[in-house]
Amino acid sequence: MSEKQRVRGRILPREKGAAPLDVVIAVMAFLAALALGASMLADRQAESWREGLAGRLTVQILQPEHPTSSRNLNTETEAALQILRGTRGILTVTPMPDADAAKLVAPWLGADAMVKDLPLPRLIDASIVPGEHVDFAQLTARLQTVAPDSNVDDHTRWISRLQTLANTIIYAAYTILALIAVATAAAVSFATRAGLEAHHDIVALLHQMGAHSGFIARAFEWHYLLSTLAASAVGAGLAGIAFLAAGGLEFAGVEPVPFLPPLGLNPQELVWLLAVPLASAAIAWATARLSVLAVLREIY
Amino acid sequence: MIRFENVGMRYGPGPEVLRDVTFQLEPGTFTFLTGPSGAGKSTLLKLMYLAEAPSRGLITLFGTDLATARRSAFPALRRRIGVVFQDFRLLPHLSAFDNVALPLRLAGRKTDDYTRDVEELLGWVGLGDRMNAKPPTLSGGEQQRVAIARAVVGQPDLLLADEPTGNVDPEIAQRLIRLFGELNRLGTTVLIATHDRGLIERSRSREMRLVDGRLVELRRG
Ligand SMILES: Nc1ncnc2c1ncn2[C@@H]1O[C@H](COP(=O)(O)OP(=O)(O)OP(=O)(O)O)[C@@H](O)[C@H]1O
Ligand SMILES: [Mg+2]
Repeated sequence: MSEKQRVRGRILPREKGAAPLDVVIAVMAFLAALALGASMLADRQAESWREGLAGRLTVQILQPEHPTSSRNLNTETEAALQILRGTRGILTVTPMPDADAAKLVAPWLGADAMVKDLPLPRLIDASIVPGEHVDFAQLTARLQTVAPDSNVDDHTRWISRLQTLANTIIYAAYTILALIAVATAAAVSFATRAGLEAHHDIVALLHQMGAHSGFIARAFEWHYLLSTLAASAVGAGLAGIAFLAAGGLEFAGVEPVPFLPPLGLNPQELVWLLAVPLASAAIAWATARLSVLAVLREIY
Repeated sequence: MIRFENVGMRYGPGPEVLRDVTFQLEPGTFTFLTGPSGAGKSTLLKLMYLAEAPSRGLITLFGTDLATARRSAFPALRRRIGVVFQDFRLLPHLSAFDNVALPLRLAGRKTDDYTRDVEELLGWVGLGDRMNAKPPTLSGGEQQRVAIARAVVGQPDLLLADEPTGNVDPEIAQRLIRLFGELNRLGTTVLIATHDRGLIERSRSREMRLVDGRLVELRRG
C-alpha cells in the first residue's frame, strides 16, 4: 500500500477574518521587533561613545607663572610634544591651535579681542594605538619635568561613566527584548494550542480514517506556520516602517524624539527584524507538530 | 477476518462494559449486532475499529494480533475499515461531497479519478441535489446518509455501522440496507449495530445480541 498520503483542498477550515489570536501575535511581533531594533540602536550608540572617547588623551599645559625667554608656554609645549611623540603606544599627537582653544572658551567669555590677552592653556590632543597600554602616571611625571603646570586627561572618568550608561541601556534593552521574546513565544504557542483544541475532532477523525501521524501533523504545521508567519510579519513590518519613518525624519533634519540618539535603522539592521516573524513561525511550527503528535499519542 | 477471544473492556476505573466476549466474523459475511441501549454495542465496535484498546482478551484483525502489533501498523489497518459512527462525525466545514471523498483523498486518489463515484453514491443515498451543502445545514437523516456514503465509498474490507438507520424513515432505511448488501456482495464484511427489529426480521443474516456486556448468539446467518 502506498504510504504517501496527499490531500487536495483544505482539511482545516479557513478562518474568517483575523482571529483574535492572530491580532495578539501581530501585536507581540510588533513589540518584539521594536525591542530588537531598540537594542540594536542602543548597542550601536554605546559603541560609538566608546570609540569616540577611548584611545584619546588630552594634555593641558598652563602658562608658567614667571615665563622667561627660555622657559615659556611655547618652549614647554614644544618639549611636551617631543616627549609625547617619543612615547611608545602614542599614535598621533596634534597640538590644538590657539584659535580652537579660544573657540572652546568663547561661549563663556565671548569672542572679543580681550580673550587674546588671556593666558589660555595649550591643549595637545593625542590618540593611542588601539589595544596599546600607556602608563598615564609615568607619562604625567615625565611631562611635568619639562612643563610643571601640565596635566594629562585620559577621559577615564567620562569613559567609565558613559560605559556604565551604555551598558545599562544595552542590558535594559536586552532584558526587554528577552521578556517580549518569551511573551511572543508563549502567545504563539498558546494560539497554536488553542487552534488545535478547536480542531481536535478533525485530528481524531483523520486518525480514525487511517491517516498517518506525520500526515496529520504536517497539515497542522503548515496551517499554523503560515498563519503565524502572516500575523507576525504584519507586526514586524509595522515596526520596520516605524524605524524607517524615524530614519526618514532624521534624514530630513527633524528630530523625532528630542534628546534621544538617532532612531533610524540601517538596512542591515532592518533585515534583522525578519528574525521576529521567522522565529514566531518556527515556534508555531514546532508547537503545532508537538501538540498534534501528543494528541495522537493519547488516542489509541 | 475478525476474532475476539474472552475480550473484556472497561472505561478507566469503571465497571466492565464488555465481559468475556468471544466471536468470529468470517470474510464476506453480513451480521447484525443488537442489544438494549447501554449494552455495549458501540464499545464493541470501537474495539473493532481501533478506537479503544481492550482491557483484557485477544483481538485479531485481518490476521493481525492487536496486542503484539506495532502502533505504526494501525493506520494501514484502519484504512481497510469503513465506519458509520453513531454520531456521524462529519467535518462541518467540508461539503457533503468533500466529506464523502475524504477517505479516497487520504488513500491518495485524484479528484478526477473519484468525482463520478462520489456523485453516483450521493445520488444513491438520495442526496444528489445536496452535494455542496455543509453538514450543519443538513437534516439528521441527511447527515447520516453522508456518513454512510463516506464509510462505503472506498469499498473497505470491513464495514462497521453503528445505528445507521436511526434517523431515517423505513423506506430510506431499506434502501440503505440494500446498499450495505450490495457492498457485501462485492466482498466487504459487514457488521451493523441496530435497535431496528424490522430491519433484522426482513433479513436472514446472522444476529449477535449483547446483554449486560455478554454476547449471545441469536441466529446463525
Ligand atoms: N467513553 C466512555 N467513558 C465511560 N463510559 C462509557 C464511555 N462510552 C460508553 N460508556 C458506558 O459504557 C456502556 C456501554 O455503552 P455503549 O455506548 O457501548 O452502549 P450501546 O450499546 O452502544 O448503547 P446505545 O444503543 O444507546 O448506543 C454504557 O454504560 C456507557 O455509559
Ligand atoms: Mg451505541
